[in-house]
Amino acid sequence: MEALRLYFKLVRIAIQSRMQYRADFITGLIGVITLNVVNLSLIGILVSRFTNLNGWTLWEMVFLYCLWILGHSLFSLFFWHIRSLEDYLVQGTFDQFLLRPASPFIMFLGREVQYLGIADAVFGAAGFSLAYTNLGLHWDWTKWLFFLLAILSGTLIETTLSLMVGCVAFWTGRSRRVNSLIMQINVMVQHYPVDIFGYTFRAVVTGLIPVAFMNYYPALMLLGKLDRLGTWWWLSYLSPVVALVMIGLSAQLWHLALQRYSSSGG
Amino acid sequence: MKIFWAFTRQAFHNSVIYRVEFWLRFISIFLWMYTVSWVWRVLYTQRPAAFGVSLQQMVTYGVLGMALETFLDVGPEWYMANQVRTGAIDTDLMKPLDFHLHMLARSSGEMLFSLAVLALPTFTVGFYFFGLQFPADVTAGLLFCVSLVLGFLVLFHLGFLLGTLVLVTLDIRSISWAYYSLVSFFAGQMVPLWLFPSYLRSFAELLPFKSIYYIPASIYIGTLTGQEALRAIGFQLIWVVVLLFFTRWAWGRTDARLVSQGG
Amino acid sequence: MIKVDHLTKDYSRPVRQEGFLGSLRTLFSAQYQTTRAVDDISFHVEEGELVGYIGPNGAGKSTSIKMLCGILVPTSGQIEVNGLIPHKNRMENARQIGAVFGQKTQLWWDVPVIESLRLFRDIYKVSTAQFKRNLELFNDLLDLHEFQHTPVRQLSLGQRMRADMAAALLHNPRLLFLDEPMIGVDVVVKERLRKFIHEINRDQKVTVLLTTHDMVDIEKVCSRIMIIDHGHIVYDGNADQMRAQYGTYRTLVVEFEESVPDFSAPQATLIKSDGRKKWFAFNRFETSPSILITYISANFPILDLALEEPEIESIVRTIYAGQPGTAQTETL
Repeated sequence: MEALRLYFKLVRIAIQSRMQYRADFITGLIGVITLNVVNLSLIGILVSRFTNLNGWTLWEMVFLYCLWILGHSLFSLFFWHIRSLEDYLVQGTFDQFLLRPASPFIMFLGREVQYLGIADAVFGAAGFSLAYTNLGLHWDWTKWLFFLLAILSGTLIETTLSLMVGCVAFWTGRSRRVNSLIMQINVMVQHYPVDIFGYTFRAVVTGLIPVAFMNYYPALMLLGKLDRLGTWWWLSYLSPVVALVMIGLSAQLWHLALQRYSSSGG
Repeated sequence: MKIFWAFTRQAFHNSVIYRVEFWLRFISIFLWMYTVSWVWRVLYTQRPAAFGVSLQQMVTYGVLGMALETFLDVGPEWYMANQVRTGAIDTDLMKPLDFHLHMLARSSGEMLFSLAVLALPTFTVGFYFFGLQFPADVTAGLLFCVSLVLGFLVLFHLGFLLGTLVLVTLDIRSISWAYYSLVSFFAGQMVPLWLFPSYLRSFAELLPFKSIYYIPASIYIGTLTGQEALRAIGFQLIWVVVLLFFTRWAWGRTDARLVSQGG
Repeated sequence: MIKVDHLTKDYSRPVRQEGFLGSLRTLFSAQYQTTRAVDDISFHVEEGELVGYIGPNGAGKSTSIKMLCGILVPTSGQIEVNGLIPHKNRMENARQIGAVFGQKTQLWWDVPVIESLRLFRDIYKVSTAQFKRNLELFNDLLDLHEFQHTPVRQLSLGQRMRADMAAALLHNPRLLFLDEPMIGVDVVVKERLRKFIHEINRDQKVTVLLTTHDMVDIEKVCSRIMIIDHGHIVYDGNADQMRAQYGTYRTLVVEFEESVPDFSAPQATLIKSDGRKKWFAFNRFETSPSILITYISANFPILDLALEEPEIESIVRTIYAGQPGTAQTETL
């Protein structure tokens, strides 16, 4: 509880800091929206030649894309700087988190906020509502609840994954490339339904780097496509569980990383 | 010519030190190849005749685009932005070496390195993995190489212009997202221009971006041949010259401004 | 207050291979090499001492301070700070120490100083009364009120250092680590910071460990000096004593109107000659600059003069050139 209170105080200052750079907000907004419009146009061009991609219609793919980006938006709003953990190590600024009588994790987590998440959220919400209307969906409250839970799980999965990858830098000094690689796999999952890929890839994004739980699996339930999973239908409900497991794993790794840091030095 | 090699050697040295990073980069490119080839494969099983070329041609096109992803990494814009941020740009400007030439040498050096160490090996691996094809004949192969060099020059100058813009006004990170996604889109890195809806296609045909991926890759897979290929190379040449002049002009103005500010 | 016994710290770093083939080899395998940053050092510091902890860059100063802060775990040896083992009770230890690192600020870069201080108040659970009292103190001694509403990135270096100093002392630590707090700060502010350090040491009995490159800091502030080099403590003793032993040499730099032949002056040694400039070293207890200048100007026309004080590096070199490790007993 106390940690949470400290976190909010830190975030307040982080927001105050970010407000000093308002021009970045505009360029960030342009950047994020251009990127997403281009991505969706590419998907649109491909799918428009058919009626679907392996059984996924254009609007279903937009739905998939936007479910991912909604989860991602919270990540990029509050936790984006986890990806630059390596910079804190290289510049030696990580020391300051260990100098205080407070959890280094909370100190680090509350260090920055980013505008980009707002652009993601706006884009994701707009795309989602278009997809919802065009697909003629009518959800009852359980589905809406599940939808919110899926978004939150998506945020947590991406956050914990970034944290685990960031921790690699404690051993190798660098983690940026690993991060880009994971992000790339993540983007593959964002753009295309996982079932168009081969078995190995599907296994990887389900079991090893579980990014398919950010959008693909929950989307199957929300879009009424559970039959595609056959006896594996329950995977569709598993996102929150996966998020919890990831939290546990990343916490363990973080502790190991701190131990490593204090024995090797930055 | 000597400085080109100097930068290549340096790029080798810098990049090779981080071995983990190198392998990850390798895997990353390979994964992109995997993605495009699967997407095309799935689309082709649904309707083989919808794309105007054979599956093998299409996959070759896509994998080639991914192998040349390194093009986007070696532009001068990040270096320039970084030098401005740290204030080290002053020392660069004081060097008895034309800055534009310096950047060209640096980018080309890194490019040669990336081609040798990343593009070529990943393409070779992809070649066997995804069953790609060679250019139809020696002429096509040679034209492809010429076209590739010109494509690189176009991208370099666009990057230099972006770097110049960043020098005077903006923060590069968020702008670069818009820039790279637009370049990749209009260059036809993922999806060739002939699949664009007609209004978008006629627009994209005029822009310089298609020099970067679309023209070289089309020559490689044989959808641009003979007169058409030569005309496409002419198009690239014109853009290189136009961009060269524009860059010199823009840089001249920026340089004067930087110097008069006292750096 | 501080007890350090046989403290050692090793780092392991990947080795870079030379040459093209070498760097290609690192693609497949990497070798690690162990370097010893701190090598078997021992010292005790009593409460209320003001210790100058000096030595060249890379001598092991920062590493040992980081161990005292609990950020790093020693490879071997014992540390105790006010009865606590820093790396085992890091959080508790953090409450009783304050630290300023001159190279990088601890404050939030883009918000007014006071916001950072308020946050530290919450982190360290400083009571409202104590917070108020300390702010008043900082206003008196550091003129904090002049810039407390300015974002840190807009502060001058001197102001920033004063703000950092306030942040480090906000929770009334018993022990203060100052790692190069004077770097790049102008003379007036330096003088002020010295006075401040002196006062909190005297009035609040805060024990201070000060890292610096500046001889003047040591002369004016410190009561005790520890010199560390290559991970060893090469000198530990009274500041006056060190000055008497090692800090007695001065160099007079003379620029003549025209080039003159090499010559020697009484009680001084010509150590360097370059164009129209000559460097004379002398012991300040044997002769004085004015005597020297009178002598020289009587013989040759002088254009310009400068007096150089010995730098820490050269003193360390002087000490170290003798017998490493047993410097305390040697004389010049």
